Amino acid sequence: METIAEQDIITLKKVLRDSGGYDFSNYSTKSFVRRMEKILYDYKMDIYTLINTLKLDNELLERVVKDITVNTTEIFRDPAVWQAIKYRLLPKYHSQKEINVWHAGCSIGMEVYSFEILLCELGLFEKTNIYATDLNTDVLATAEKGVYSYRNASEFLDNYTKALCVNPFNYEERISLPISKYMDFDEKKDLLKIKPFLLNKAKFKKHNLVSESNPFNVKYDIIFCRNVLIYFDQYLQNKLYGDFWDCLAENGTLVLGIHESILGAMSAKYEKKGLMYQKKG
Amino acid sequence: MLGVVIGGSAGSFPIVTNILAALPKNYPYPLFLCLHRLKHVRTGFVEALSLKSALPIHEPHDREQVLPGHVYLAPANYHMYITTSGTCISLSTEEVVNHSRPSIDITFCSAAKTFGSKCVGILLSGANKDGALGCKAIKDAGATVIVQAPDECQVRTMTLAAMKATTVDFVFSSHQIISYLQKLNG
Repeated sequence: METIAEQDIITLKKVLRDSGGYDFSNYSTKSFVRRMEKILYDYKMDIYTLINTLKLDNELLERVVKDITVNTTEIFRDPAVWQAIKYRLLPKYHSQKEINVWHAGCSIGMEVYSFEILLCELGLFEKTNIYATDLNTDVLATAEKGVYSYRNASEFLDNYTKALCVNPFNYEERISLPISKYMDFDEKKDLLKIKPFLLNKAKFKKHNLVSESNPFNVKYDIIFCRNVLIYFDQYLQNKLYGDFWDCLAENGTLVLGIHESILGAMSAKYEKKGLMYQKKG
Repeated sequence: MLGVVIGGSAGSFPIVTNILAALPKNYPYPLFLCLHRLKHVRTGFVEALSLKSALPIHEPHDREQVLPGHVYLAPANYHMYITTSGTCISLSTEEVVNHSRPSIDITFCSAAKTFGSKCVGILLSGANKDGALGCKAIKDAGATVIVQAPDECQVRTMTLAAMKATTVDFVFSSHQIISYLQKLNG
């Protein structure tokens, strides 16, 4: 792949900001460069053609922005986290009247539905409000439909079993819970469909974490933002941990990717609780 | 700082275990492992490798600082990059490369970029071509590339692909790899 000169990266970021209103200045330089190298390779373009075309072609600009953002998500990715949510976190909310949850950077929504399934199992589905946002409108459209490739989600069965059918605090307990309760499959057509009663629960909305504030004007008991901030620099990470702190209800919980940790100044404002972070007063 | 990167897939686990068992506590260099894992054995890798090794082994967090004598195992389902002149690790969930996440090419190429000529890349047994481009990048940066002797590999596809992609410095048995690392003086 072509390597891109530093000056060209600066020009590119300027064009994306001036022509599209997207600010990548606090994106981690390394991941930004990696994404741009991949885009040039995929589009079969050189950097100068790309920069010049971006100034004129808004459609291309929107497509490039979508391709810069990383959209990996899985059903019950990292089962240990979901076990902790099920056994440690959610039981606290049985007595609360309603629960507000925000999936920030929800991508195609697989974790939104994973979480909804847990809520159903714990009898908390009805009283929970779910909000989900992403910068990329394509992934939001997929998320709302809840229809996925069966093959691409091939690990989900294993993750589902680990997350829902095993009690990590009592290994002798095996919970029988057929996944067909929540999803339909068609292996031949390569389809995995979330059952209708889980759809229309979450409110999906386009939202830019970098430039916009709390998108729904509520305080959240739980914010999911997994493997999103790893693409940002330290300054922006710290700002967003601050924004999340402001958006969280008292004692609210922030769920990050299992290999992410809060570094820097904001780390003092959260308490690490196992695989999650709790807001400190 | 000099860094050692090791990549492996099918058949590499016992070799990696032996390498880590043979290196002393306070080994002067950091080691970075990028091993493909079977999808259903995602966890327990660190524990298994730690059983026989004196070195601290971690699956690092994003932005973790690198320490000499520590072993950094690319976490399941993340790509692992070495950055900032070999002092920091960053993780990503970008697309799979060579059907793999972690991808050896990604870790090796980042090592070539960040360590330059102060790097040793070791590629072990495996059934796909991941790591070949990475070996070439390490070699092109003026550093050392070692592959496990194909005849000794449980699956030889990976080492053969690397030998086709670049001129490797050494084709070693696992015993030779161990004694090379024991004597390594960067």
